[in-house]
Amino acid sequence: MVSYLVRRLLVGLLTLGLITCMIYGLIRSMPGSPLDTDPAMMDPSKMPSKADIERMRSIYGLDKPLHEAYWQWLKNAATLNLGTSYSQKKPVAELIADRVGPTLQLSVTSLLLSYLLAVPMGLYATVRSGRPDERGLSFVLYTLYSFPSFVAALFLQLLFAVKLDGTWFELPLMGNHSSGYEDLGDMAQAWDSFQHMILPVTCFTYGSLAYYCRFVKANMEEVIRQDYIRTARAKGLGPIRVLIHHAFRNTLIPFVTLMGLTLPGLLGGAIILEGIFNWPGMGLLFFTSILGRDYPTIMSLTLMFSILTLSGQLLADMLYAFVDPRIRYS
Amino acid sequence: MNKKDRDNVVVSAGFWQQSWHRFRRRRLGMLALYFIGVLSVIAVFSPMIAGTKPIVCRYKGSIYFPCMGYYNRTWENPIFQKDRFRRIYPRNLKRKDPQSWAIWPLVYQDPHRPVRRGEWEGLEGNPYGAQGRPTGKNWFGTYKTGFDVFASMVHGTRIALLVGFVSTGIAATIGITLGAIAGYMGGIVDLVISRVIEVVMCVPALVLILSLQAVIEEVSIWNIMMLLGLTGWTSMARLTRGEFLKLRETEFVAAARCLGASRVRIMFRHVLPNALAPVMVPIAFGIAAGIQVEAALSLLGFGAPPPNPSWGTILNSGRETLQSGYWWQLVFPGMGIFLTVLAYNLIGEGIQEATDPRLADPRN
Repeated sequence: MVSYLVRRLLVGLLTLGLITCMIYGLIRSMPGSPLDTDPAMMDPSKMPSKADIERMRSIYGLDKPLHEAYWQWLKNAATLNLGTSYSQKKPVAELIADRVGPTLQLSVTSLLLSYLLAVPMGLYATVRSGRPDERGLSFVLYTLYSFPSFVAALFLQLLFAVKLDGTWFELPLMGNHSSGYEDLGDMAQAWDSFQHMILPVTCFTYGSLAYYCRFVKANMEEVIRQDYIRTARAKGLGPIRVLIHHAFRNTLIPFVTLMGLTLPGLLGGAIILEGIFNWPGMGLLFFTSILGRDYPTIMSLTLMFSILTLSGQLLADMLYAFVDPRIRYS
Repeated sequence: MNKKDRDNVVVSAGFWQQSWHRFRRRRLGMLALYFIGVLSVIAVFSPMIAGTKPIVCRYKGSIYFPCMGYYNRTWENPIFQKDRFRRIYPRNLKRKDPQSWAIWPLVYQDPHRPVRRGEWEGLEGNPYGAQGRPTGKNWFGTYKTGFDVFASMVHGTRIALLVGFVSTGIAATIGITLGAIAGYMGGIVDLVISRVIEVVMCVPALVLILSLQAVIEEVSIWNIMMLLGLTGWTSMARLTRGEFLKLRETEFVAAARCLGASRVRIMFRHVLPNALAPVMVPIAFGIAAGIQVEAALSLLGFGAPPPNPSWGTILNSGRETLQSGYWWQLVFPGMGIFLTVLAYNLIGEGIQEATDPRLADPRN
């Protein structure tokens, strides 16, 4: 186990090295003052000032030879000195810290919601397997799974924010709170946040809900045919006890692995959905920094997303070994 | 064995034939396959379905195919530019050569520009804004300054299918080749390739494409396809590697080796056809994912450059005017993306079940 862990960590480091090389390559190839060649981008507010460029050059070491400069950038990145954003004139680390909250607000809610709904639905589908209601449910879930979330987001916005505007079902179009949010009382603030969360959370949830539900059912189908399930039934246990204690517990291994894969993603936010709902999270930060050609922010976020994906895979493998005593890495 | 006996031998169905037989029994899978078939026909013949350039015309004594210009601008004969047609064919053809004739596309609408008044005799110009709702003339309504949604969607089919096929084609080539080499060679080669797979798996494709947008001035649709292909091959490589690991120990491989077949020949002629089935599934899902990513990029305004409309571009225009409630700019392209993704997912699942040997019917 320990040797496996060490090997995985080494591979992880190697991967990280490769990714940082790639990101540094992007930094190197970015135009020094990107905007003076492109007349469409001659917007003075998006133009980095002379001082900005100088600071950037020293932080990224663009004035030094490649290997030295890369090493310096690595050292800076490791101490969270990720540079200063052009457009917001703030350290990038600070910007990111501001955005973690709203991102987690959406992702954690949707994760909890989808797990809470997916497990009972998956179990129900297993029990009713082959009946019309199960087939209907499976069909709906499959359709939802194939429905791109950004299309759903636009449809929901059109329906609830535009077509139902002025009725009881009206929901806010975008943002995470209304304009007069600070002046509201506690209860009103909570209600306002809740209303703003409904559409984004729905879009975040339904796809993964459908996926997890199918996942639970597929694993249950396999387990339910095992001999020990027949044994449990034969010794007279009730159907619910068999289903949950004997069958479902044995499907936990792949389930936990899946959870591991998704956990770090919670921090990453979703670029497209946050963009559509104008939700001030990580994804929107990434999106706006691309529009504003805010290189320090883009590079820091790319680095962060890569590390998150990497740790997700590592976590999944670790959890796998932890949950299933039969698995021994060597 | 004499000839008569040989004719009486019943050849049992091969693996692919059996799989196809099982696939055909899945009604939804077949429906999806038909749908993709129809879409492909629409994509290939898009300029003949909707356009403002004649499919065939006779002009000044020669036959021309101006509609080819929709595939590639240079395929349109320069004579029309020289004669100052300014992309308006019906009026100019008659005026500049009264003897001319032309066969027109089914729908006289253009994906690149709004149709103006009087271009086609008795045809009103395209309305826009709130007047642009679907009518008998603009079947799916109009967007922006009067662009026809139907014509744009017909031509957008080409981009959607192309992105899916090209990016997945690249991914499949890389994935199958590397997976085959890793699985068959084993040892240090396998170790290196497996690590490479792990590295690439960690690269988020969308983030990479978006980062690139900030560095490269103009990102073309081909760049996007390349990047999607270069990052999306890992699952296919892993599956191929697994199959090869299993198959290289089999008797038929040993037999081929005894006959002196080269490594490459054994890998690609003998083992690969037997390892292909499980790889087909991620290919179908990969096409669906490619189409989604392209649409999402266009929706964010980072997609194919303007002259070529993609479904995401129309969706983006609908998003910009969302508060005016022009539903047709969202519903038609949105449903187009959804149905295509659904169809590929259904095909993928159909292949999965049809090629799964555990589900094989022992009777056939």
